[in-house]
Amino acid sequence: MSMFDRAIKYDLLWDSVAPEAVEENQRWILTAMHRYGHELVTMLWRILGNEQDVCDAYQTTFLHLAHHEGGRKPQWIKAYLFRTASNTAVSMLRQRIAERRTLSNMTKDSEQGPTAEVDFDGRHLAENLRSHIAQLPEHLRNVITLRDLGELSYAEVARIMGVSTGTARVYRCKAVQMLAMWVNDDEENR
Amino acid sequence: MRLLKHGETTCSCEIRSSRGGWGDLRSRLVDAAQRRFGPQAPWARRHIAHCPRCQRRIASLGKVDLALSVIRSQPHRLDLLARANEAAIHMLSNRLRQTTEADQLRQGKTETPFVERLAGPQNALLNVAACLAVLALTKVGIFASLSKAQTRGEAAMKQYYTNQAGQDIADELFKARDHSI
Repeated sequence: MSMFDRAIKYDLLWDSVAPEAVEENQRWILTAMHRYGHELVTMLWRILGNEQDVCDAYQTTFLHLAHHEGGRKPQWIKAYLFRTASNTAVSMLRQRIAERRTLSNMTKDSEQGPTAEVDFDGRHLAENLRSHIAQLPEHLRNVITLRDLGELSYAEVARIMGVSTGTARVYRCKAVQMLAMWVNDDEENR
Repeated sequence: MRLLKHGETTCSCEIRSSRGGWGDLRSRLVDAAQRRFGPQAPWARRHIAHCPRCQRRIASLGKVDLALSVIRSQPHRLDLLARANEAAIHMLSNRLRQTTEADQLRQGKTETPFVERLAGPQNALLNVAACLAVLALTKVGIFASLSKAQTRGEAAMKQYYTNQAGQDIADELFKARDHSI
């Protein structure tokens, strides 16, 4: 199991971590926050689209970093941070989508009327794409979140994922095709 | 038929930005391939005009592209980074929270890239560099060589006038010039 996979069960870890549990010699966490904070917040905002969720995901990401292998500094902090942040955000996004679905089902049951026509506006388009990104297979999703939402270079994406640059490009191509197919299906089902 | 959306699936823009011979070569190859096999190629356009399936594909790829652009362009509040930092720092130990670095993070200050940090004193640095260059040139003897070249040039000119117009006229000319200087 990779170091990233271990760090993802954010709900469980969140419960087990107490505030002020971080060791005092972990000043490098502040340096990492200083260096990558802006990029991380931008990526999280693009994945989640909700400021409170961004703060929560950011906090969780740095908690994971602080508790990585008993407080040891990861070999490549940037990779660790971006992978953990991306996975945390997608977990939150999935949870939000599930909640929204439950809510909309309840509303449908209670109303029993015709469904309202959804406007083709930017916000709907973005939310729709976010929900599709959350459904992508992990390797494709990571490329889309890191490359398109995190705006990392292919070289960095490839290094973070442990694949070649060419493979990262192919993954992105597949991810975009898959997203396009789902968007098309949505249009047809509407 | 497998269609590529221009600049989307092959990411030629990324390749274009890479420097060096290989980057240029790749960029040219990708551009050539796009022209011949991409959706902008005449045969592909003709096909798309009559193929509803490909039209749908192109349209949905365009929608994904548009949605990604919408996501990227959505603004957030300016203090979001500061708030996120505050939330994360809140989980750290008391000593770490009280450091100056933590204070800066709470204010949403990020690390400025090296190039941007240089931009401030750039003019002063350039002036210092120019002064140093002048000093070095003086030290090396460039200016002494220049004056030597000028003296030799003047001697050659005097010789020319002596040969052409005679000694007395040449003496008169160069004496008058020396007085004017």
